[in-house]
Formats: sequence, C-alpha cells, structure tokens
Amino acid sequence: MDISRNAAAVSLPVPAVITEIQEEIADVRTYFFRFEDPELERTFAVRSGQFVMCTIFGAGEFAVSLPWSPEGDRRHLSVRNVGKVTSALHALEVGDKIGIRGPFGNGFPFDAIKGRNLIYVAGGIGLIPLRSSIVHALLHRSDFGRIILLYGAKSARELMYRPLIEEWRKREGFETYVTIDRSEPGWNGEVGFVHTLIEKAKVPVTDTVAFVCGPPIMFNAVIGELSARGLKDDCIISTLERHMKCGIGKCQHCAIGRTLVCTDGPVYTFKQIKTLGETI
Amino acid sequence: MFVLSKADVPRFLAHLAGRYELYGPVLHPESGDTFFDRAADPSAVRLDAPIPTNTPKFTVFPHFERILSYKYDQTTKDVRIIPEELVRPKALVGLRSCDLKGLLCFDRFFLGQEFVDEFYRAHRRKMFLVANTCATPFPQCFCVCTDSGPYAAEGYDVNLTDLGDAYLFETGSDAGRAAAGELGLPAAGPEASRRRDAVVDRSIALFEPRAVENKAWISRAVNRLTTGFVKNETWEYIGQQCFECGACSFVCPSCSCFNIEDVNRVNGTTDRIRTWDSCSFEGYARMAGEHNPRRPVEDRRNKRFFCKLSYSQSKKYLRPGCVGCGRCVRVCPGDIGMANVVTAIRREITGK
Amino acid sequence: MSYLTGVCNFCGTGCGHVLNVEAGAIRGVFPSSAHPVSRGRLCGRGWHIHELLNTEERISRPLLRKNGVLSAVSWDEALDFAAARLAGYSGREIGFWASPRSSNEDVYALVRLARAAFRSPNISVLSDVWYRSTAGILREGTGRPGAPGMIADIRPADFILIVGTDLTRQNPIIASDVHFAARAGANVVTLSTRVTQIAKLSGTHLQNKPGTKKIVLAALAKVLSAGQAEGFEAFRKSLEDLRLEDVETLTGLSLATIRDVAGRLAAASRAVVIFSTGITGLNRETTALLFNLFLASGKLGREGCSLIPVTGVANLAGANDMGAAPDFLPGWRPVADESAAAAFARCWGSEIAAGRGRSVDELLADASSGLKALVVCDHDPEIAMAAERIRSLEFVLYLGSYLNPFMDAAHAVLPTASYAETDGTYTNTERRIQLNRKKIEPRFEARPAWKVFADLASRRGPAWPYRSSADIQDEIAQMIPAYGQATYPNLEARFGGLQWPADAAHPQGRPRLGGNPEDPRPRFVAVGGGFGPAASTADFPFRLMAGKSYYYWHLNNAMKKTFIPRREYNALLLLYPQGLVEIHPEDAAALGLRDKRPVRVVSARGMMVPQTRVTSEVPRGTVYAPYFVGAMVPDFLLPHADAVEYGEDAVIPVRLEKV
Repeated sequence: MDISRNAAAVSLPVPAVITEIQEEIADVRTYFFRFEDPELERTFAVRSGQFVMCTIFGAGEFAVSLPWSPEGDRRHLSVRNVGKVTSALHALEVGDKIGIRGPFGNGFPFDAIKGRNLIYVAGGIGLIPLRSSIVHALLHRSDFGRIILLYGAKSARELMYRPLIEEWRKREGFETYVTIDRSEPGWNGEVGFVHTLIEKAKVPVTDTVAFVCGPPIMFNAVIGELSARGLKDDCIISTLERHMKCGIGKCQHCAIGRTLVCTDGPVYTFKQIKTLGETI
Repeated sequence: MFVLSKADVPRFLAHLAGRYELYGPVLHPESGDTFFDRAADPSAVRLDAPIPTNTPKFTVFPHFERILSYKYDQTTKDVRIIPEELVRPKALVGLRSCDLKGLLCFDRFFLGQEFVDEFYRAHRRKMFLVANTCATPFPQCFCVCTDSGPYAAEGYDVNLTDLGDAYLFETGSDAGRAAAGELGLPAAGPEASRRRDAVVDRSIALFEPRAVENKAWISRAVNRLTTGFVKNETWEYIGQQCFECGACSFVCPSCSCFNIEDVNRVNGTTDRIRTWDSCSFEGYARMAGEHNPRRPVEDRRNKRFFCKLSYSQSKKYLRPGCVGCGRCVRVCPGDIGMANVVTAIRREITGK
Repeated sequence: MSYLTGVCNFCGTGCGHVLNVEAGAIRGVFPSSAHPVSRGRLCGRGWHIHELLNTEERISRPLLRKNGVLSAVSWDEALDFAAARLAGYSGREIGFWASPRSSNEDVYALVRLARAAFRSPNISVLSDVWYRSTAGILREGTGRPGAPGMIADIRPADFILIVGTDLTRQNPIIASDVHFAARAGANVVTLSTRVTQIAKLSGTHLQNKPGTKKIVLAALAKVLSAGQAEGFEAFRKSLEDLRLEDVETLTGLSLATIRDVAGRLAAASRAVVIFSTGITGLNRETTALLFNLFLASGKLGREGCSLIPVTGVANLAGANDMGAAPDFLPGWRPVADESAAAAFARCWGSEIAAGRGRSVDELLADASSGLKALVVCDHDPEIAMAAERIRSLEFVLYLGSYLNPFMDAAHAVLPTASYAETDGTYTNTERRIQLNRKKIEPRFEARPAWKVFADLASRRGPAWPYRSSADIQDEIAQMIPAYGQATYPNLEARFGGLQWPADAAHPQGRPRLGGNPEDPRPRFVAVGGGFGPAASTADFPFRLMAGKSYYYWHLNNAMKKTFIPRREYNALLLLYPQGLVEIHPEDAAALGLRDKRPVRVVSARGMMVPQTRVTSEVPRGTVYAPYFVGAMVPDFLLPHADAVEYGEDAVIPVRLEKV
C-alpha cells in the first residue's frame, strides 16, 4: 500500500470553518468546511481511504474517515454522535471552527488496480469511508471495468446518501443494488442481508477488487461469500477502525498485533488482516 | 579515550551544569531511594548510586505535560493555537546502559517510522548523554539477556567506566570529544580498554544465575511470541495475576504509549495534555460504541509481551524492546514481571 | 529534588509514593521502593493520583447561594454568613459530617468546631457504621480500637484467611502481599460468595451461599472449641444454637471442609486473617465471630500472626481515632467519661457538648430528629442515600477541594486545599500514622480545612491558637496518648511513620498489638445467637448482594476527575449505561436474559431496571450489584436500610423479570 507522507498538519491542528451542515440519517450529520488559511484551502490534497484527526475545540480530538473525493468534491465530514467529542461537534453551528490534522493513513491503491472491476460492498454507515473512492472511480470511469455497489442497512431510515444513490442508479456503467434487512411499506428495493446481493449482482471474481466496509457480522458474511465465489484474499480490501489518539503511529492505541492502523492502514487487504495476529 | 580522575568529577559536572539542566542519580535522604532527578546542585549527583527507582525516560517523555494549548472564542469564532516551547537543554549523567538503550529505542520509534513526533524531538534536542558502566548488577537485572548491558556500546556522548582510581572517559560523539577537549582531559593509556573489559567481565559474573540461565530462554520466548505459539492457557495463567495497574508500562524504559486529553482551564484556554498510558488497561483500545478488541485481561498480557519481545517490534527499534532493567519485576503487584513471564513461556516448552 | 515523598490518599493501605513537582505543579507520580508497606508498588488508582491533583475541576472560590444560584464571594463574606447561620441553631440541630479522606488534623479541628464552637454532639464520619462496630469489637476484645495486626505479617505468613472483600479491587497492594505469600507457598483460603480475583489466586476458595459468612465463621469457631481467654464459656454457649450437621445445608460448605480449614488455621505458626471494614464491611455479629475465631485459634498477639481489618479509604481509621463520633471524644474516650470531657474543655478553653449525640446518618434517617443544618466535608452524593432529606434542610455548608454534585444541595460552599496542598497526617489500616507534606501551594482560593474551621470558630468565640497543622498535631499528641510521639519531627525521622500506640513507653510505635505483658488480657466478645438461613422466598427466589469494584467506589467523584481511571470507569459504564447486575449464565438462560439487556429486579419494597451482566463469577441463585455504578444502587437500596446494615453479607430477596 502506498504510504507516502502527504500530511499538511502533523502535530498542530489547523483551523477550518464549518460552512454548511446537513442532516443525514439519525445521529449522523455532514459538516462541510473550508480551511481558514487560503493557501491550505487551495493545496490540501488527500487520497481516498485516508482519515484526519478532527479537533472540536474544548472537547477533544477524534479520528474520522475522509468521505470526499480528491477531485471535484466539497470537503466534508459525516459523523455519528456517539460520545463526548462527537456530541460536542453536533452542538456546533455554521460559522463555528474545528481543527484538522492530517491527512493520515495509506489510502486505497488506485494506481495498482487500473483496469479491474470494482465491487463496493457496504453496510450502514460503512458506506461513508467508501464514498470517496466511489466518487473518484466514477470520475475516472474508463480506467476500470464493471463498477458495482452493493449496499444495505437494517432499515430504509438507516441508509446513507439516498439522494446520491438515486443519482448513481441513473448512471450508466454503475450497477447499484440497495437492500434493507426486512421489507417495509414504501420500499421497492431489495430485501435481505447485503451479502445476498453478491449472487444477485453476479459479481465477477477475475480481475476484480472488492472494497468491503461495515459491521463485523456483515463483514464476515460478505468475505465468506466472496471467497466462496473464488475472489482471492489479496483482492478484498477493507478499511479498519480503531481507537486513535495521535494518528501518526506513536501513541499505539490503534495497534493490532504487529501493525499500527493509523500508519500501515487503515486500508488493508483481507490477506493482511488474516495475519495480523489479533482478531479485529 | 580519556581519563577523568575522581577528583575531577565535580569539575566535569559543573561544566555540564553551566550549559545544561543537569539530571542524574540523586540519593533521597528520607527513604534511601535513588531517583534520577534534576540536580540543581551538581554535587548531589551520585555516580556510584544504585539503579534509580524511576526511569530516566521522563526527561524526553514526561509523565504529564501540556503539548499545546488553544483558545476558541465562541462569540467571535476566533481560534488561537499556541504551541508549547519544549526545548530545554539537558545533560543526563549516570545513565545505566539499559536506560540508555531505552532512550535509543525511543529515538528510533519517535523520530523514525512514518512521522517524527515533534514533541519528543523538542525534548530530545540539546541533550548530552553520559552513560555509566554498571559494575554491580542488582537482583532483578537481566540486561545480559537482552543485549543491553552492562556496558553501553553506542548512543552516548560520553561513557564513563569506573576503573577504581579514575574513570575511563570514552567519547561517542563530537560533543563528547569537545567536552574532553574543553576539560583538558589526559588521554587514556594503552591498558585502559583491557581494564575496562575486566570491569565489565566482573560485572557480568555477578549477575544472578537466573539472569544468565534465562539468556537462552529469552530468545526462545522471542521466537514463540513472534510466531504466536504461546498457549492461551499460559496467557490466562499470567492474566489472572495481573492487577491491571499499568505499572509495567510506566516503569519500562522502552514503553511509550500515551494518552491525549483536552482540558479546559478556568481562564478560557484549553490545554492539550499528553500523559503516559498503558495497554494493560481495558479501556486502552476500546472504541466508541462497544467494540473492544482486547477486553479479556489475558489478551492484553499477550499483546504487551508480543510488543516487548517480538521480531516485528524489534524491527522498529532495531533491537528487542526489553532492555533488562528489571523494574517491571520490582513494581508488579502480581509478580508477573518480564522474568516470570519468560519462565512461564519456558515451562510451556520444557515442562519445568 | 523534585521527587518528593508522600502517602497515597486513596485507599486505607497507605502506600508510599513520590510526587514529581516541577514549577509549582505536580507532574507525575512514582512508587517508593523503600516504603515499608508498598515496597515499590502502586495500584491503578495510585498511579494516577497526579491526574486528580491536576484537575481544573476544583471548587475555586467561596460560594453562597443567592437567588438560587451559587455565586462567588469573598472569604470574609462566606465565613461571616456561615458562622452567623450556624449560630442560629442549637448544637443539637446541627450535624457535622467528617470525611474519611481528611487528615487527622482537619478532623480533629472539625471535632473541636462541633463540640466547642457550636456545642454540637452530632458528629460522625461517612461510612462509619462498620468501622465503628469493628473498632468497638476490637476494643472489647483487646482493649484497643485498632488492628491487632500489621501488613508486614502477610508475606511471611504460612496461612492466610480472607473473609469476604474483593481485596484486589479494594486494597490492591495488600492483596498483592497475599499473592506473594501464596507464591511463596502460603496456604491462602478465601471465603466469599463471588469468585473474585483474590479467590482465583488463593489455594482454596470457599464459596458460601449469600449471607452466610456468619454461620461459616461460627462453625469454624465451634470446631476449634478451645479458648482460655475470658468470656469463652459465654461464647461457647452462644454457639449452642448452631448444629454442625446443618452447616452444609445452610452455607453450601461441607463440615469436612470447615474442619479442615479450622485445623489449618489452628496449626499454622504464622497466620493472618483479613476482612474488610468500611462501607462494605461485615456487620457486628459477623465481625464479633471473626474476632472470636481468631482468639480461639490462639493466634492473637502471637509473633507473625495478625488480624487485619482492611479500610477502604485513606483516613477512615484516623478520622475515628480523632473522635468524629457522637459518643466519643478524640482518642476513643467516651463522652460520658467526665474527666475526659473536662480535659478537653480545659484544653479548648470552652465548655463542650459532652452529651451523647447522634450520627449524621441517624439524624438524616429520622424525620423527627430536629436536624436543621449540616456541615459536610468532601462527600460523594452517590453514597449519601438521604439526598431528599438533605435538600430539605435549612442550611447546608459544604467544604471540599473538588467540584461535587453534592454542592447542588448546599447553601454555602468553601474551597479547601487538596491533600497535596497542605501538611497532614493520615492513619492507615494497621494504625500507621504517616505525615504527608505539602507539595504545592493551594490552588485558586483554597485554604487548608483546619484553617477554615479555625476562622469559623473565631467568629463564635475566642480564636484558636494554631498557626499550622503541626501545631494541631502537637495538641493531638498531647491529648491522645496513643498518638503521643506522632509529632512532625518524629514522623519525619522515621520513614514510613509510626504505628500507634506511639507513646513515651513505645517511642517507635508498636507494630503488632497483643501478646505483651502490658496489653490487656484479650477476651471473647459477646455474640448473639441466630444461625438461620439467609432470606429468600418463593416470590423472591434470588438473593441480591451489593459490593465494590475497582474504579467505581468511594472516590467516584475523584475518579471522574482523572483521565485514565475515568476511562476505565467508563469502560464498564459505557457497556452498561443503566447500571448492571451480575447473573450466572444458567440463571440468565433459564430466564431468557441476555448480556446487556435490561432486567427488572423486584424486591418486596422496590424495583430497579439495570442491565444484565452474565458471568460465572456469581453462583446460581445470586444477583450481585456493584455499588456506585450510576445511582441505581443507592436508589434501590434506600428502602432496604435494615438489610444493608449487614454490609457485605446483606442479602435482599428479589425476583428477576425479563423486560
């Protein structure tokens, strides 16, 4: 995986101002922002799959995956309210400031997978870290084979990005399947767990890379299904989440066996995950 | 190589005290303990003192420090981020070889890998390191097993060995050579290395049989830890005796895990505080939500010793993580310091 | 030297430590290798005391409630107001609540404030119930209200019995000594219903049915049935009701096991018995039986043999020694003792309230007690089960170092120096008086508590003569013979302090009590009968027990002001935000209960709905609720005061319902 250091702010957070807030699903909001420093605003470059350490002034710092694509996209963070720091974020308004360190982490290996089919499999808010990569791939459509999205959530209320998914549905060359666990009135899409979509979509396994992101149960079921179909372990990619404090490979809170998720990851192949020495 | 007479030691310390904040082993009168501490008065430094109770790592990695502060005005939305001035010239004297190895592990870890830890670098700059060859090991020492003593082969500006009538003053850097020059020290004679080697050999012979006996087993333990072949029952046996206090990490010269918290002060600024942390704790790796990858205590014991002794950590430090200082043996309420853990792993292999 | 020695202020073990002080702030903590008790160790709480000492969440200024809101005022205004308000009540209308974390000097000063300045006999210490009954039993049995043993006897012991108490969580370093003894070959027996860590580390775990420790101890004593000390006959008679054939049915332990353990205790040459006193202690009857057992085994006063009542808080023992009690003057002299009352009146230059008062717990529990005002030092509201009553009082004065929800009930709040900001002595579980020197200046406007009491007193009568806490300690040394040699110069001269009695005859203190010709002859303590099974009925088939755990405990309020202990506290609380009760897997399965799901716990008098924690550490038929995880337990326990009176052995019959 590519781990060249492109961090603009390593130790001291740089201020950014919230320009717009959007309600997503329950407890999840999207915060659009721009950097205070115009030069940084111009030059801050990321790779899909990376993350930043976001400071909420007066509360603390937390790690958050970058959902925005490196090109042609507005910078934003989509964050669920789960604890002390994220709830402090949720109390902020347009015009408030946050701090950013990063971007950190290795990112998705786009250069290495040109020409392949891309399968995105996501569950619930697991679609957020994959959004960057999907948007990026669609911008470079001709570089890849089939692009397939298999997305599921417990219920329709818990599906992220529904307007965006509607746009994606209409795009030619992007096969999208969306499912919810149990049928509901008003739902016309698929019903059932997300791994059942793999068969429905007739997912290819040669010259193919699958990006998987979601809760552990879903992850195991999806991996099981893909492996059974013959997709090799080093062609299945995921992004791991861990408790993080420094983001730069020093505090070691994110250690799994011999790897540090913030610097060796957060993007790993399933082959690597199997040999980490600890359960994820 | 030079010679520093015993009578000249105060001059050497005064020379350092004139340029740096001086730290060294200081005897604590009330308790009789030796602490590695700031010596405002150079004569308080005792080069002949026993291994300090505390680990010198606090000089580059404080127990509790502010790394930056900020002020965010909710009304004006004005943000000011205020870095901390952390650079203070320090001279560390009387460093045992094990503790010096710990510092070198820190250097490779904090200054190497993908990023430089700027706070560590600030603490580490302008440091003058004077090592002290250990002539007398203590009951819990086992640096001979971990290739970290009793003689420091590298990493110092000056290395002192007590030859009886004087100190052998070896220089390991330009700064060390400059000091020798400024002090006008005489060169050491041809027999000096031989005499130094005799001191080291005598020291090695004084180690507890267990330390020497364990020598072969530490490498076997390293092997089994790296490949993950240690049985879960062994970790459960060890974990049952863990009091989850964190002491092993706090006293270890190569443990560098830390925690960061933002603390709001009554005057409106917020301090970002960095403190020692330990993977011994249940909450250390726990994530928001419920997922905790290392909830059972045996998993955390497994993780810690893997981190200390496995090949992968060795690759980060270019040597095993454990430096054989024995402090974890002294502070552990559950009696599962490094030596006993290695014994437990050994029992798995040999049955005794 | 920036590493300065001190004594940890958390539990009653009294571990030595060093605090790193730099530029007027505390920057770290480290163990003290040479300390006689802790010998180079600290526990997970003690290793983070510097985090607490650095918190910004301090009571920074004196506060008075104006228009419903606590507002900052000057010291003079606050002191004038508080003194005037208190002066408006008779002594019997005021209660004085001492903290077991306060220093001896601060408690002594509070006692003087209460009895002399405000003529109130109503003074007591938080969590005093079981400590007082333990001290009373020891006094009755040995002539002295203190541990007849010492911690140093643990490691060389060949037999150790631990009765109840989750020792590795309550006093970890004492438990560490037990563990070292076990590893050196000692025979360690743990008697507890739950499978605690110390139970797992001991050679023999006697897992008794809930609420039956009393019966087990009685059976052990009965089996020994020997004793030359006074009172043996009466004791033997009181055991007649217990039929040994019934022991197995009642307790779940076989008679053979009982005989075996009793035999090991009797045969041991170096035997140590440990139990807990303080907020989860054993009730009077059980403690009396335990003492009698130790006496019957012939170990009291023997070289290498110790009975150690473990205190869970730094100065619980000292606060009681200082007379924070409605029926004692400092030094355990009964208020009814006229010469003692006269001596203190003379010393304090004032009449004193010498009648027997009532403890604050009693005053709060009794709606007709006439209590109108309260002076409270450093308390956790989760412990104060009388929150409603406190709020209804006319005047509440709160003193403390750290912000505390208790302040919501206060009309006046005064900031006191933290223990690192003032000199003070503290007495640990084995009578060890240690001096903790001031490390940094008091932060913000905090003042040493004794000084605040002196300032209040001077507004009531003549000023007190103390210029420093050393002066107070000198007076304590004068007025309490057992503390006679515990002056600051002496305490500093002897690293690790002095174990009382430290008087002219024993200037170095006495490590172990009993066994010397001068010691009063030990005697068996009177015990009531009644060895029936613990309650449970068909309607309420489960037995609920309550007790402690590592991080949520007395110092919840203090723990929440640290980083790492607070995180560890949250590690459990975030999993069980509604609080938790522990249930055996088979019981859970039978009831359809799953981990983290809510469970309704119903007793004859109340109900709570915490979450389930499934663990095999509790036996079948038992439900275990750790104190202080949220406020669930105090709320539920409130109507069960009579059961809770049994401390650790408290058993409340409940039924469990799936929600």
